[in-house]
Formats: sequence, C-alpha cells, structure tokens
Amino acid sequence: MKQRDKKVLRLALYAGEIMLKNGAETYRVEDTIIRICKSCGISVVETFVTPTGMFISIDNGNTDSDTHTFIKRIKSRGIDLSKVSKINEFSRVFASTDLSIDEGMEILQGIEDTKIYPIFFRVLAAGLVASFFTLMFRGNIQDFFCAFFVGIGVYLISQLLTFVNINDFIKILLSSASAAVFALVALMFSFGEHLNPIIIGSIMILLPGVAITNAIRDSVSGDILSGVCRAIEAFLTAVSIAVGIGFVIKIWQMVIGGILS
Amino acid sequence: MIYQFAYGFFSTLGFTILYNIPKKHMITASFVGASGWITFQHFNIVGDSSIFACFMGSLVISFLSEFFARVCKEAVTIFVIPGILPLVPGAGMYYTMLAFLENDFTKLATTGSETILMAGSIAIAILIISSFTKIFATVRHYLASKKPAYQPTHED
Repeated sequence: MKQRDKKVLRLALYAGEIMLKNGAETYRVEDTIIRICKSCGISVVETFVTPTGMFISIDNGNTDSDTHTFIKRIKSRGIDLSKVSKINEFSRVFASTDLSIDEGMEILQGIEDTKIYPIFFRVLAAGLVASFFTLMFRGNIQDFFCAFFVGIGVYLISQLLTFVNINDFIKILLSSASAAVFALVALMFSFGEHLNPIIIGSIMILLPGVAITNAIRDSVSGDILSGVCRAIEAFLTAVSIAVGIGFVIKIWQMVIGGILS
Repeated sequence: MIYQFAYGFFSTLGFTILYNIPKKHMITASFVGASGWITFQHFNIVGDSSIFACFMGSLVISFLSEFFARVCKEAVTIFVIPGILPLVPGAGMYYTMLAFLENDFTKLATTGSETILMAGSIAIAILIISSFTKIFATVRHYLASKKPAYQPTHED
C-alpha cells in the first residue's frame, strides 16, 4: 500500500470518527469522507457508516492497484455540535485549497482538542433549561427557582455517571430517578409548590432530542439502518426516564405517601 | 405570548450551551426554538389539538433551520436539534407514566397515544421540510447546470 493512500485514508477516517462521535448524521459523515478522499485524487471511494462503526474502501482505479479497506468501531457517542460544524467547514477548505495531508491532520487534531464550555457554564445552562421549562409548563416563580437547583443537581449527577463510564441507559435512569428524588425532597420542605412542572422541567435535559432528530434525518436520506438504530436509542432513553421517575414516585408514595393528586 | 417567547428562547439557549453550539449561532438557534414554541402554543390554544400544534411548531422550526443553515452556510443540525427540543413531548411521557402508576388505563391509553403521535408529528414535519428542500436543491442544481444528477452537499 502506498504511504500516501494510507495517510489519506487515515485523515478521512479521523474526520469521520470525530463527526460521528459528536452527533452528525450518517450521510454527512459519508459525504465528508468521500469529499476528503476525492480531493486527494483517489478515484474510487466506497463508505458505509452506521452509528456504531464505519467502513471505508479506496481504490486508485488502475488495473494493478489493490483495494484498501479500513474499519473503525465507534464505542461512545456524545454531542458537541461545534466540532461537527468545524469539520464541516474543514472539509470544504480542504477540498478547495491545496492543504497537505499532514497539515489537515494537525487541523483535525486541533478540532478534537477544542474544549467544551467549563463545567460551571454547563451547570448554569442545565439550570436555565430546567427552570424555563418549568415556567413553560405552568409552574410559578417559586417552582422556577426550585427547578433551577433540581436541574443543576440532575446535570451534576449525569456528568458524574458519565465520568465513571456507565451504560447510557442506566445513566439516564439514575439521573431521572435523582430528578424525582430532588423534586420530592424540595416539595417536602415546601421549597417548590407544584411537583409536575418541576419534574418535567428537569427531565428535559435528559430527553433524546438528538436521537429523534437524527433518526428522522438519517431515514430521509436513505440510511434506514442508522435511522432504526437511533430510533431504538431514543425509545430506550424515553423508557429509562419513565422507569427512573416512576420507580421513585411509587416508592415514595408507598413509604411516605400522598403525592399523586 | 411574549412571555412564552422568552421562555422558549432561554430554554433553547440553555440547550445551545449544553450541546456546545458555536457561539455565533447561539442567538439564531434560540430564536428558531422560541419561534417553534410560540407556534405550538398558538395552535394549542386556537386549534385545540396538541398533536396538530406540535406538527405546525415542528414545521416552523424545520423551515427556519433549513433557511438559516443556508444563510450561514452551516449544518442544519446546529439549528434543528436545540430548536426541536422544547416540542419533544417530555410532559406527555411523564403524565403517561403517572397514569400507569395510578392504574388508570384509560388515561394511560389517551396520554400515551397522544405522546407517541406528538413524537410522530415532529418526525413527519422534519421529513416533509427536508424532502422539499432536497427537491428544491435538485431543481436549482438542474437549472444551474442542466444536469439532472444531484450531488449531495453539506448544506443539506
């Protein structure tokens, strides 16, 4: 295998990996890989991308050239849309200017190393989401402040569980259970007034919005397999949230009682 | 209605930070989310059907996202993901679960099917808009180059 081809392949693979890990749709990943390979003069590129792994085959189209295939398994997926946006931009720049492959690799490395917002801001954002959703679902001003703190607590717990590398669905289940516990405790000390808006507001952080949106967008562009994968992910996440909250409310009702109006 | 717009705006703003949307698009994305939310609220009051309201809200979000994605030359996902989140029926899911706990199976069936249909209506709305933009892009490409082959681009 020629060294240059291998480098191109690794560049394309790396770009695809970052996109897929951070919540890009399937066709966008495939498109980026093909665009990068084609701009380096590789004539035959086939790629097959699913949410859990990707395959790339390249060939130079000569009668004596070999086909080379790389497989990359994707184990964990998060959401960082600014990385998706940056690589989107990178692939355009790479295709239209004559950046060398090594320079491209450096830029990609830089993109992967970009920092997300510090935990302080993200925690505040989680509080913001929870509290404003509480208002949207007819909570009053007291519930607003209560949901702010519940949201912060839920987000901190979900981050902690991410840190210990636990299964995604268990993570969601435990986080939503903690949302219910926090809300119930707050209500017990009459810190908040209405239970339902507070809980609804704080589980909004955990909802599978990305999975739903990407499931549809993948199915529309013909990637049925990825669409089904993401739809299942969304469904299981929703079930985990419901189970987490339901379990806590039921236990609370049995032990302390008197919350279901 | 102005209050509802503000609520939608700030909650979507929170999501833009959580999902690390590029800073220059934060305000636009929040605007998309807020517009979708007030459309939902409006049709909820006027039309008396939350499923239809959800559909209209998603149409607005989807359309605005495709529009801004083309104006800013960005990926559509950056606008549509935070924008759609206020409409995802988290409340419906919660009430379905409550009905289940109360052993109230009639309520379980009504709220449950409403929740599923709301999620479905979001899906259909995104599907319609993104299919139409694809048709639009194909036609424009055809008119520009007189070639029927459509090359998918990153703006889709």
